[in-house]
Amino acid sequence: MRRFGFALTAIYALTASGEALAQETPRVVTVNYALQYMAERLLDGDAEVVFPVPDDVDPSFWRPSIADISAIQSADLIVLNGAGFASWVDRVSLPRSKTVTTAAGLAERFIITETITHSHGDGGEHAHEGLAAYTWLDLTMAAAQAEAMADAITARDLAAPDGVAERLTDLLADFEQLDRDTRTRLANAQGVAMIATHPRYQYLARRYALDINALEWEAGAMPTPAQLDALDTLAAETGAGVIIWEAAPPPEAIAAAAERGLQSAVFPPLAQIAEPRDFVAAFSAGVDAISNAVDMTEDD
Amino acid sequence: MDRPVIRFLVFAAAFATAPLGAMAHQLIVFASVDCEDVTVEAKFSNGNAAREGEVRVMDGENTLLTTLSLQEDGTAIIPLETVDHASGLVIEVDTGSHDNYWLLTPDDIARNCRS
Repeated sequence: MRRFGFALTAIYALTASGEALAQETPRVVTVNYALQYMAERLLDGDAEVVFPVPDDVDPSFWRPSIADISAIQSADLIVLNGAGFASWVDRVSLPRSKTVTTAAGLAERFIITETITHSHGDGGEHAHEGLAAYTWLDLTMAAAQAEAMADAITARDLAAPDGVAERLTDLLADFEQLDRDTRTRLANAQGVAMIATHPRYQYLARRYALDINALEWEAGAMPTPAQLDALDTLAAETGAGVIIWEAAPPPEAIAAAAERGLQSAVFPPLAQIAEPRDFVAAFSAGVDAISNAVDMTEDD
Repeated sequence: MDRPVIRFLVFAAAFATAPLGAMAHQLIVFASVDCEDVTVEAKFSNGNAAREGEVRVMDGENTLLTTLSLQEDGTAIIPLETVDHASGLVIEVDTGSHDNYWLLTPDDIARNCRS
């Protein structure tokens, strides 16, 4: 019996020490993969970085559970994107003192999206504007978001300031190099009309002077006959030679695009994690895919 | 500052700071809580109150606890003693053409009762 009591005490002590250790490690929550990548680079293990959205869910439209929100509220830092990204952040109470909106300082550079006209109640027909939310696809904006995040990490004492500053310098250097490489690789895309399967690439298009029109297709799915009709119409209107998929579609979808004279490129917008599991590598692979698709149009 | 004023300011602040993208084509739902009631407020993004709509109240496991109707001013009151709120509350508002939700965690409820 005494042995049993000791075992219980030992289990309690181990559990308590585990909890204490867990409590000592700060926890940072991000609303998308791009921000998770930046946070992991800046913190380098000094805090646990959590991106709570399941792999198969679009983070823009994730609906968290109450348990998810309880876990997020208890984090040491909540890293938001801004520009309207992640609709759930406007449907919960988040502690202001623990929250940073990384694109807050970039409002003048936000892209206003198409006006949506509709009516409800007795308000008559009216219109709303939206914002393009995938700000990090302009790498200069991604860099500014990383700087805002670094400031927030330092202000909340989640890691040593010198270390954060050093890692920020490295991260910004990587973004600058990627930005230069992207400009070089996409030089061949100037004047080539493209169609994206979803309106994700507004900031990429502006930064790198790309001509991208968008459809509203589900990521990775085979388009329906009606969607293919819409593709025909848009391709005829724009003279597009390239179609950009946000996730690899079925081979039949690639074939359907090819039948219409469209070269396919997969460019994950990196709100969700994508292979290869590294922001810079995945972005670079997407750029190469677009550039290669453009080359193929020239070969046609 | 009394509770209705606090509630108004919180709602106004949420409105003022909500990003443009989040406001597009949307019904905005907000729920505040004190020790006695949850107050649900539903407005369209043009500022007009949602004058009709169904309010569904669920627990943290998404089990439906009760439903009620919006009042003409776009609000609904849920007495806390009428619902099991131990796991938090999911508040859904559906006007027929638009719907949206607000989540109250157990901490939200406890914190606002303490304050």
